[in-house]
Amino acid sequence: MNARPLISDLVLGLAPLALLAALWQALVSFGGVPVTLLPPPGQVFGRMLQQLLTLSFQQEIAATIFRLFAGFSIAVILGVSLGLAAAASPPINAVVRPIVRVLAPLPKVALYPALLLLVGFGHESKIVLVAADALFPILLSTYYGASIVEQKLIWSAMAAGTPPREILFRVVLPAAAPSILTGCRIGLVISCIVVFLAEMIASTDGLGHLLVMAARTFHAVDMFVPLITISLLGLILNGLLEAARSYLLRGFPEV
Amino acid sequence: MSVIRSRSDLEAEAAPALRRTVAMIEIDRVSQVFQTSTRQDHLALSDISLTVNDGAFVSILGPSGCGKSTLLYIVGGFVQPTRGTARVKGKAITGPGPDRGPVFQEFALFPWKSVLGNVMYGPRQQGVTYSEADAQSRALIEMVGLKGFEDFYPKELSGGMKQRVALARTLAYHPEVLLMDEPFGALDAHTRTRLQNDLLEIWERDRKTVLFVTHSVDEAVFLSDRVVVMTRSPGRIRQIIDIDLPRPRRRTELLLDPHYQKYVVDIERMFDDAGERELRP
Amino acid sequence: MSVGTLFKHLAPFLACLGLLVVWQAASLVLHNDSFPTAIEAIRAIPSILGDKEALFNFAASLRRMAIGFGAAVVVSIPLGLLMGRSRHVASFFNPLLMVIYPVPKAALMPIIMMWLGVGDVAKTLVIFLGVSLPVIYHSFEGAKAVEEKMLWSGAAMGLSSLQRMIRIVLPAALPDILTGCRTGLVLALITMITSEMIARQSGAGNILFNALDMGQYDTVFAMIVVVGAMGIVFDALFEALRTRLVRWSEPPFEIPLSFS
Repeated sequence: MNARPLISDLVLGLAPLALLAALWQALVSFGGVPVTLLPPPGQVFGRMLQQLLTLSFQQEIAATIFRLFAGFSIAVILGVSLGLAAAASPPINAVVRPIVRVLAPLPKVALYPALLLLVGFGHESKIVLVAADALFPILLSTYYGASIVEQKLIWSAMAAGTPPREILFRVVLPAAAPSILTGCRIGLVISCIVVFLAEMIASTDGLGHLLVMAARTFHAVDMFVPLITISLLGLILNGLLEAARSYLLRGFPEV
Repeated sequence: MSVIRSRSDLEAEAAPALRRTVAMIEIDRVSQVFQTSTRQDHLALSDISLTVNDGAFVSILGPSGCGKSTLLYIVGGFVQPTRGTARVKGKAITGPGPDRGPVFQEFALFPWKSVLGNVMYGPRQQGVTYSEADAQSRALIEMVGLKGFEDFYPKELSGGMKQRVALARTLAYHPEVLLMDEPFGALDAHTRTRLQNDLLEIWERDRKTVLFVTHSVDEAVFLSDRVVVMTRSPGRIRQIIDIDLPRPRRRTELLLDPHYQKYVVDIERMFDDAGERELRP
Repeated sequence: MSVGTLFKHLAPFLACLGLLVVWQAASLVLHNDSFPTAIEAIRAIPSILGDKEALFNFAASLRRMAIGFGAAVVVSIPLGLLMGRSRHVASFFNPLLMVIYPVPKAALMPIIMMWLGVGDVAKTLVIFLGVSLPVIYHSFEGAKAVEEKMLWSGAAMGLSSLQRMIRIVLPAALPDILTGCRTGLVLALITMITSEMIARQSGAGNILFNALDMGQYDTVFAMIVVVGAMGIVFDALFEALRTRLVRWSEPPFEIPLSFS
């Protein structure tokens, strides 16, 4: 039923981006918008390329990426473990469930000042915040994925001789993989967003910090650069995760 | 091979008040081509011509993938044929409408409305007043055997009950043609036979034209006046068989009737032969 | 009510209590000046709520949040539904949205402030953008999943294309739409707070950081509790509303936002 050639979809998809870029350029050239407020796309991308070659900018990116990955990894490890544990064991479930229910809707960013007080303005506060925000989608999707694993799968494994304690890792975890990976994707996007925001609010380095500094000195071009950088970073990471997902789930029916 | 009687013989034996020999549905050289996901052309239906008279219960019988549902959707106006035309009462079919009411295998009930809400939907759409629609719908709900369930939601009903609601909902807007797409396919055998009996009972009251798609030979023979047997994809009409069994039909009697048995066996043999031919390289 | 069900209902409150106890214990153990105990923080709450100016700030924040949320919902739901039913519309908007998605909307604050000044418009706009995305996405998914046969049944009854959109697609997609709104609500609160933390002018986020700057650590933590409570209450209220509105639906087969 989906017979349209991919090419026309791609063209149709690039159209709004091209349109946006054109609009951007048009606003600058003809819209009478001062260059100080909205620098032309050429200038922004030029500056970005220039920055990417400087060491200091690379260090800023590195700081952001480091915090992002650290926080995300913690969230994945904690989220998957807790999710699996809660799905497998009713007593753990009884403890975890209400706590998650209370903490999940809480805007974790409200805890940020507390974190700053406790661990300072450096990496740790950002990493903890990222982990706290990314944790919940991963935990919930792991729990959900693990709890809907078909009973028949588990029975088949048991009949084949798998000892009960291995069932969790050899059957439940792989079967829950699609759900877990979807949760990870959400968690990754959240990590990108939160790390940037945290650096904007209070930091000494990082991409978010760069944006705020540029704002304070009214350097419009330097404001756009970190913003576009983090967007691209997000897109790239998302793409990588999608690729990993396709590979890991290659045997699964289309989901 | 099969007992084919002319239509006039049937009519002579038919119950009183059989009035019409008006062609209700005319399908003229209809073909349907679909594009598959690999962008190849798939011929689903090939050159189908068929006339269905007013008041006839006609089954379209064939294996999976023979395009029988597609044919139904074309008559319903949900799908436009690649070639050929379909008419209802002489007028070309351009889209769906309340003159051709569908009943789908998946029920397609509106989950946010109660049973009563679903059944009232069509009449209300046609402008019937609330109280009038309410009364009509309640009567219909009782007729399909669901009295007392008016305020239930679809998710609270069993498959058989949902299909009864679907039938009531379509009957509520008084279509001249009923298009039934394997309506009992998703139900267990017991529920299926009950609903077959109930359907015939309801149909007997005003004898609408019915196009009934199925892959079950005994269902087709039990319910219909004519059975249109289709080939595997690309779907063509293999044969049209008039079923000359008296009405009203009782399943338990019919199962022991040698005429009924012969119809079923003959048609099944048709499929067996065809199947053999296809399996041989 | 058996002990089991009683426990289930009380569990969230017990969890809150437990967390507060852990906080209290941790702060006593760490004995850090910048880490007040739970009790001290809670005691600071009334003074915040009593302060006229702070309340006024709060009200302004909530007003912005409400307007941003409302506007976003009104725009996003039709857009999402249209995208769900029309491949052309979807192909057109999808890439645009995918580019905007990873950008933290609150991060646009400085840029938007540069353009629009520091008034309410800038803050409301950011909230609008933040809420739009999840609502569009969920409306899109919900509309896409509507059974074709339901629409055909409607067409057979004589419903026009527009009528089918409003009377079939919209209600059928409502469970998904409301899930999107729930996410949007949480995001509205978060975006509101963060944008106020970044662009310090007024509002809850501003109060928080002012207290931080002035070393009023009790107030800082008190505000955290207040904001946290707001988030939990909004979410609980919305979830109650949502379940009432879609009582007819099967339980959702998608990643839950939380245990409901």
